[in-house]
Amino acid sequence: MDPAMGMGLVALMGAAATVAGCSEDLESDIGSQSNPNSQVQLAAQVGYPHRIFNKAISGEPPSNAMYCAVGAGVAMVLMSESVMSASPLIAIAIGAFVAALLNGVFSTTSYLGRNASQTRFNQYVYLDVLRNQILSLMGHAYITTFCIVLISYVMWNQNLIGHPFPFPVIALIWGLCVGAIGSSTGDVHYGAEREFQDFKFGSGLNAADSGNITRFAEAGVRSSMDNAWFCSKFGGPATGIAFGMVVFLDNWRSTAFSGWTAVVVGVVIVLVLVIYNRKVETYARKKYGPFPEYAGDIEA
Amino acid sequence: MSAGGPGGEAVSAETANQVDAKGIGVGLIGIYIAAIAADAGIPYLIFLAGIGAVFATKMGADAVRRVCSYGIGTGVPSIGMLALGMGLISAMFGLAFGAMIGVSYVGPIVGLVVALVIGFVVGTLANKIIKLNIPVMERCLMEIAGAGVLVMTGLSVMIAGSMDFVVISEKVIVTGYIAPVFILGALGILHPFNASLGPDETQDRTLVHAYSVGAIAMVIAGVCSIAVIDPIAGIISTVVGLAIWYVTFMGFVKLVKRDAGAGYVGTGLLPPGAM
Repeated sequence: MDPAMGMGLVALMGAAATVAGCSEDLESDIGSQSNPNSQVQLAAQVGYPHRIFNKAISGEPPSNAMYCAVGAGVAMVLMSESVMSASPLIAIAIGAFVAALLNGVFSTTSYLGRNASQTRFNQYVYLDVLRNQILSLMGHAYITTFCIVLISYVMWNQNLIGHPFPFPVIALIWGLCVGAIGSSTGDVHYGAEREFQDFKFGSGLNAADSGNITRFAEAGVRSSMDNAWFCSKFGGPATGIAFGMVVFLDNWRSTAFSGWTAVVVGVVIVLVLVIYNRKVETYARKKYGPFPEYAGDIEA
Repeated sequence: MSAGGPGGEAVSAETANQVDAKGIGVGLIGIYIAAIAADAGIPYLIFLAGIGAVFATKMGADAVRRVCSYGIGTGVPSIGMLALGMGLISAMFGLAFGAMIGVSYVGPIVGLVVALVIGFVVGTLANKIIKLNIPVMERCLMEIAGAGVLVMTGLSVMIAGSMDFVVISEKVIVTGYIAPVFILGALGILHPFNASLGPDETQDRTLVHAYSVGAIAMVIAGVCSIAVIDPIAGIISTVVGLAIWYVTFMGFVKLVKRDAGAGYVGTGLLPPGAM
């Protein structure tokens, strides 16, 4: 392939991955999936019934792997010559739509099921919470799936990158990847930052504070949708950059170099990132911590 | 205590033996009728393999429910993945064994036996070596592995229209349709209990939900089979799957209304005393 074309594809995939990472994180924040979910789930049990969406579709990696694998599977059916030889973009769009419908079904059942299972804690099933959030969840899931399936298609197509794995399997792997990055990068912003922002740095997180995530404005003025407002300031874009960098750097090194050089470049990138992360961590600890009053003798 | 489980043995209306008998019985019968009919030139009965997979999903979900009610909160998704991991290996081993000895029809049964053995070994390791000490662990992991193998085999047979390992590997694995089958099968086993986690979880609601998630897997496998085998057979599977999904989903919503009682409201402020 022409090197300029190769670099263009890598850039396209990086851009699509950035959008996918961002929308994936916002989707999971609106639904309070994974990291924040345990706090929302515990809230009713510690005496705080709430009106926050409780979307427990396993962890984010399996659920996003499902949307992406299904999206790619449906797109592949539509593209196959025995069915309708649809153009890839239309096929991917329809595949992503089917995946978004699955997102809607799984979100609905998990909201209804989890809240109905907490009746003894006075937790209600609010249908308006379901109606208000479900379309925005499905919309974000659509964007994520579309971008991931697009990346997978570019990787799989023999005239473009020509990866040896089948199309839905590549989508499954990238879906797992975006879910894992969204879960570890963006959800920390929602789960930890939003809930514990009035706590001092390094003071530790007490399990008894878990339910607070559904209190104050969240109990009335705000809804789960406002988590997207909060997280789109930092958590979503950070996830997008993280995932975009994973896709971009990985494809860049294998496009620009070949053989063992590509492996060495990969190792160098990992080392640089490890050192950089360590620097950021020590900088933050020196600047903001440790918690001054802590003497190490407080009963848990 | 887990993030929601009451801890201890789960309350069941339908006993484990009943669920297992239906899961293995309907699962195997559905898969065999579908494969024999397809080999005889009638691919339109292929949806029966999907129905078998739906019942196997329910068996897996019930086993997850029983083992996870001992307080495995965040382990619910992991156990679903474990199920399909064990299931995939056993299913492929069984089908390959059938191809090796030249009798493809022994595939699902060999796979099931291998899965039960793997499940027992994993369960024993978890209970005796890691010392989780959950009384139902061995049995539940055997059931989960068995459900995994039946779901994988059922959906693969549905897509490929055959029980022959060569055909399945060419039409399901090489094409990549194994990916949605794998992940939807896993979610079918883990999602019903995961989505109902909490002290007021009820067995009938979880199991109706298992049928509905299994039906979703059947619908997607039906869509994939449109491109692989006969389009009409694929459309029949898809429509049957959608019908099962609709009925069971509405049943689930009805049971949610029953279990939530007065708490099933259109809108409103938080309950009195909650502020």
